[in-house]
Amino acid sequence: MDAVTSAGAANNSRGISFTGTWREYLPIAVTNALLTICTLGIYRFWAAARQRRYLWSRTVFIDDTLEWTGTGKEMFLGFLLVMCVLAPFFLFFQFVFPALVAHAQVTAAFAIFALFYLSLIYLGGFARFRALRYRLSRTYWHGIRGGSDDGGWSYGAQYLGQIFLTGLTMGIAWPWFAVELWNARWNKMSFGPLQFESELEAKGLGWRWAAVYLVPIAVSIAAMILAALIGGFLTLQHDAGGGTAPPSLSALFFLVFAAVYLAIPLMTLNWYAKYFRMAAEATRIGRLEFGFDATTLQWLGLFLGNVALAVVTLGFGLTYWGYRNWAFMVRHLHIYGEIDVSDLTQSTTHAPREAEGFADAFDIGAI
Amino acid sequence: MPTLSTSAQSDPLFEGRLYDGVRGHPHDVTVEFGPSLLRLSQPGGWSDEIAATELKRVESDGGNVRLGRKDLQGWRLILPAAAAPRVQSLLGKEARYGRWIDRVGLVPALVVGGFITAAVLALGYIAPHWIAPHVPMSWERNVGGAIVGDFGELRCRDANGQRALEALVERVSPGATKGPDGIKVAALDVSVFNAAALPGGYIVVFKPAITETNPDALAGILAHEVAHVHRRHVAEALIREFGIGAIVRMMGGDIGANAEQIVSLSYTRQNEAQADADAIQMLRRAGISPRPTAALFAGLAKEKDQEIASRAVFLQSHPLSKGRADRFAASFDSRATYRPALSPSEWNALVHICPVQSKAS
Repeated sequence: MDAVTSAGAANNSRGISFTGTWREYLPIAVTNALLTICTLGIYRFWAAARQRRYLWSRTVFIDDTLEWTGTGKEMFLGFLLVMCVLAPFFLFFQFVFPALVAHAQVTAAFAIFALFYLSLIYLGGFARFRALRYRLSRTYWHGIRGGSDDGGWSYGAQYLGQIFLTGLTMGIAWPWFAVELWNARWNKMSFGPLQFESELEAKGLGWRWAAVYLVPIAVSIAAMILAALIGGFLTLQHDAGGGTAPPSLSALFFLVFAAVYLAIPLMTLNWYAKYFRMAAEATRIGRLEFGFDATTLQWLGLFLGNVALAVVTLGFGLTYWGYRNWAFMVRHLHIYGEIDVSDLTQSTTHAPREAEGFADAFDIGAI
Repeated sequence: MPTLSTSAQSDPLFEGRLYDGVRGHPHDVTVEFGPSLLRLSQPGGWSDEIAATELKRVESDGGNVRLGRKDLQGWRLILPAAAAPRVQSLLGKEARYGRWIDRVGLVPALVVGGFITAAVLALGYIAPHWIAPHVPMSWERNVGGAIVGDFGELRCRDANGQRALEALVERVSPGATKGPDGIKVAALDVSVFNAAALPGGYIVVFKPAITETNPDALAGILAHEVAHVHRRHVAEALIREFGIGAIVRMMGGDIGANAEQIVSLSYTRQNEAQADADAIQMLRRAGISPRPTAALFAGLAKEKDQEIASRAVFLQSHPLSKGRADRFAASFDSRATYRPALSPSEWNALVHICPVQSKAS
């Protein structure tokens, strides 16, 4: 076998492909759902492991399938660990905060309140880093796994700082911080001996982010002008003795609000679609580069499809969300370049440990 | 160097691909199945034996069979699908649902799990009934006090009226308003026909429930609410609706719910029936005729279809079953001597407990 394996070999022109089918996955989906219900939800960790074993094993990366080696037990232990840490944390704040307020210690109460939310944000960033590290450390290809030597503690601090600054700028600065966080995460990750490298820049993301702010405003102004015109027209007609009664003011306001509340998520999705395409292009490992080609409409199709599936199947379709999301990601991903598999040696990163799955226990998005 | 063919001539050989877990480069190997081990070899002369106990299955896409080693991370042997029966006889059945489920089997696990789940849910429904009597009244009062406050503007504060209202509660349940855990009864200037027991031993009566009834019927209504308080139905409803964690939160005085949610607490049918039974007892002991209460309920039941707005609220929080008025009526004893629940002057004071001009509706 040739040592240098290049992406774009026969039958796998994008370098990565998904070979699963919903029929083949159905027995897993049904038994996962039944067992999760009949165990008061405890089985969901084992269900997640089974789902990933299936999805990874049906994902052909260049010339061989991926393999998921994470177990339900380790995710369950991770969940217990998080519970042991978080439960006292929550209880402490739940009692200390009202007690301080009751004793009129407003400054102290405010400090505790701020500390609580700052720690939650820090933990959120930390967990996100760990979820990515965990997934890489449990993913094998050619008998080699990924991982990271970084514990994610400083990433949590960076995340906290940049979320704070994003808040200070009322969200306007988010694209610049989002790309820095992407780079900070991925530059710490490795697969085998190869380090991930990411040089994502915010250039080109600003206008789509501005649209998140400007389009709802434009939509509401346009809707109000339209409403005024229609209202005026109908009133004229009404005064002239014909037509229907003018629509009520509240109905018009409802339409404006509906338009604005549709515009905000749509514009955010529009931004994320481009962000993901650029992020994939800016990331590489060794001589392999990535590409991602999902458009805003395709993302919208995925989300609406998920919702419709869940509604039509009276909730059972929820068990297919993970499948659909994974298939979507893989089918829009491209791998370019080549990799010399004889250079690929086993990862020397921090060896996998039990209870490492704590972040994944909460389904925190890894990418 | 042993040759493979000498040890097991009838066994077919499989061509496999081996990742050693150290490098990503695959090795082509010839694989032979022994009774409890695998033999791997290469034309160059290299060979290795792995005991079946060291081997484990790894999920594949069905086009091949994948094996891993328990002692070497990343070691993978990929065999053609035709080797599957051999792997099965060497390693036994494939793990499917996770070890703890596989051990008992899917169907038994579902049956047993289903029973346990049903039992836990049933316990969640029944447990509040057992736990509520053991929740300190002072915790419940924390919740009530935080939410109810002093009712502010809404409360009707006429001193004579308040005395009469408390006297009525004392009449149906002597001593009920006394002591630290005593019932605190208040009339509220709200134009809705209703009465309710709130957390912490608060009983509120809305204005129409006083002005549109008579002393004996109001005594029946109050007796019913007093029963809810004494039976700890309020704590039970809190636990049922806000979870077991509510007990801990009650201690802190913050249930994490707003006043509206607390006021709309609902009791189970059994609790309502029990409160009625208790109320009938209280009326009998107090020597108050149950007929006016029965007449009120019967009247309300008749009005049910007419949807009189102000009374509909009472029906929502006190669903009237058909037998409810009948049970009160049946408790009437022709040999007993009944006395009015309040004297005319007391009733007169009570009717005027709220200011003439309503503040809220």
